[in-house]
Amino acid sequence: MSVSDATTALTEELAARDDMIVCEGVNKWFGDFQALDGITAIIKEREVVVVLGPSGSGKSTWIRCINRLEAHQEGRIVVDGVELTNDLRNIEKIRSEVGMVFQQFNLFPHLTVEDNVTLAPIWVRKKPKGEAEELARSLLERVGIPEQAEKYPGQLSGGQQQRVAIARALAMEPRIMLFDEPTSVIKEVLDVMKELALSGMTMMVVTHEMGFAREVADRVIFMEDGQIVETGTPEHFFTDPREERTKLFLSQIL
Amino acid sequence: MSNTDQATLAATQSQRPPFYRDATVVKWLAQVFTLLLVVFALFFLTTQALENLNRQGIEIKYDFLSIGLGSDLREGIDTDPDTAGRALWAGAVNTLRIAAGGIVAATILGVLIGVGRLSSNWIVSRMCSVYIETIRNIPLLVQIVLIWALVATLPDVELDQGPINGLLHLSNKGMSVPRLHIDDGFYQWLIFIGAGWLVGTFVKRRRERRHDATGRDTYPVLSFLAVLAAFGAVGWVAHPMFRWVGAIFDFIGDGFSSLTPVVVQVVLSLAALAAAAWWIRRFLARLRTPAGLMKLTDDDKFRIIFAGVGALAVIAFMLVGWPGLASWIINSGTDLLGVIADKFGDGRTGQPLDIKRPDVEQLGNFPNPGPAGLNLTQGGAAVFFGVVLYTASFIAEIVRGGILAVPKGQTEAAQAVGLRRVTMLRRVILPQAFRVILPPLGNQYLNLTKNTSLAIAVGYSDFVQVGQIVYNQTGKTLEVISLWMLFYLACSLTISVVVNFFNIRMKIVER
Repeated sequence: MSVSDATTALTEELAARDDMIVCEGVNKWFGDFQALDGITAIIKEREVVVVLGPSGSGKSTWIRCINRLEAHQEGRIVVDGVELTNDLRNIEKIRSEVGMVFQQFNLFPHLTVEDNVTLAPIWVRKKPKGEAEELARSLLERVGIPEQAEKYPGQLSGGQQQRVAIARALAMEPRIMLFDEPTSVIKEVLDVMKELALSGMTMMVVTHEMGFAREVADRVIFMEDGQIVETGTPEHFFTDPREERTKLFLSQIL
Repeated sequence: MSNTDQATLAATQSQRPPFYRDATVVKWLAQVFTLLLVVFALFFLTTQALENLNRQGIEIKYDFLSIGLGSDLREGIDTDPDTAGRALWAGAVNTLRIAAGGIVAATILGVLIGVGRLSSNWIVSRMCSVYIETIRNIPLLVQIVLIWALVATLPDVELDQGPINGLLHLSNKGMSVPRLHIDDGFYQWLIFIGAGWLVGTFVKRRRERRHDATGRDTYPVLSFLAVLAAFGAVGWVAHPMFRWVGAIFDFIGDGFSSLTPVVVQVVLSLAALAAAAWWIRRFLARLRTPAGLMKLTDDDKFRIIFAGVGALAVIAFMLVGWPGLASWIINSGTDLLGVIADKFGDGRTGQPLDIKRPDVEQLGNFPNPGPAGLNLTQGGAAVFFGVVLYTASFIAEIVRGGILAVPKGQTEAAQAVGLRRVTMLRRVILPQAFRVILPPLGNQYLNLTKNTSLAIAVGYSDFVQVGQIVYNQTGKTLEVISLWMLFYLACSLTISVVVNFFNIRMKIVER
């Protein structure tokens, strides 16, 4: 089966699935600077999308717009059928369905690992404490650090903190996971992300980790200057990019 | 390596260095030496000072506290005190009033302005900035005198004029607001409040457990307040049923007064020893591992010895240094129990609290605000608003700094997991901001308390001003200064202890 056949097959298969994230002509400015320039993309259910691009290309801004940590100024963003507007109820609904893992982890330093994970299930999902703790333990097990539950984030290594951040996001049982340039991508974190991808989670990952893009991604999106330059399967993207800008980027990074 | 070599090596390792090179011994010797030096220096200085004073015919004695004072105070619990001691007490109460009220008011105002300066509302944030930059850059003394002068421009008090029976009365005599009076049944009512507190805490815990078990909102704090309010309401009418409580205190007081000093000395000695023993036990418990007691370092041994010696020193002081302490404790304890017993009783059937509006009375040539309302004289208002406005500007900056010290990522992370604004503030932002705010806030409370002594500039009868009157009349300057120092030290230490208590609690929450 040739690369193009695989692409066609994937495209057909994807077309049959539901749309999870729909962006149409999304524009955003920071002052004079246009951070997002007509972003149009559809991300399907269970799809794993890796967003690549040089720094300052708007990758982070884009995924931060998807759960409204930044507000887009023009265009539409629809997440799982709910449009992101100024309606607080919609924002709340989307945020509880979209998990996010930050570059700097942003764990709550005054809470134990377990309390970090149970905070949202208890106060947003109104789960009984026992149930939330059980969930937390199973999630910490899943990300491979069950023995750290009683520790505080400051006592953990970078990779462990990263996995707590993933567990915290998963505790809300999201349908979509966003990863904003996870920096401490050690093997264990990568394994957790792969396992997540295989379990059918819809994922958008901003990363410089080409290995993850090659192995796990269904699709790679390349951005530059706030625009989507090229989109394709990893095979296509890494072996036979169409655009000159993509070729230049890949030659610099590989 | 031969056998002998190994033996030498082992011997070198286990050998202790000579004591003057042993870090632990040197450290402790230095401490003890410093302590002895300080004690000796203090002893030398006081004996020298006393000797020199004696030579000039000056005696350090505090008996002036019980002699009469020929002048009135402007305000306070006792404006015509019988003795100098009573006058100083009234002055101390005035200082404490201004300081306590000032701390509450400055905290509220400071938090509002600090949050206001962070507001996204341009006008609010600008106004708060201007307030802070103006107030904190003008010396406090200038502000106090300015407020005093401003109050002087207000109209006179008239018997039949002005909003005198309203809620707020302003005149060149100061200001009056309605005041809460402790009435007949207050202390009996307090028993209901205490019981309500206990029951409320029980209900709160139960509701918290139910929240943990089911995840539903159970409003633990609100239920606590509701229980407290219910008990307060019932107690408002039912409090006379506790009139027999006074008899219990009378009984205890009788028993207490029949104690002999020896019994008190024995009990206090045992208490000192028990405290030392408790401390040592706790200290050892910390060193206990599942495998057994850890090997005590020399440091640990010194500490344990020090605790024992400390307890013995306390006992020696009580028996030798101040033999009268035991009978003093018996006398004041009996007095205190008698006073408490007096707060309950058959005659006390009225309501616990009463609110009265300010009134006006004319005793001499001019009308003055009467005793019904909460009055601040011209000087009192100047000191109160002076320290409140001034300290609030510093507290505002501390609050702003504390909130800004919480990284933006914390807000984003809380939003990303879907927390609502109130939950986010309560569970994520404020716990972290408090840690930063608390220590400097304690410093501001200390500053505020000490700054009330500027009252002397506007003639408010605070502790310093009354002290000045006292030493002008009695000539006991050193004694009064020593009382000033002790008083402000006691205030500062109390504030420090309270702030540190919360500090430690916050720290444990973090790590």
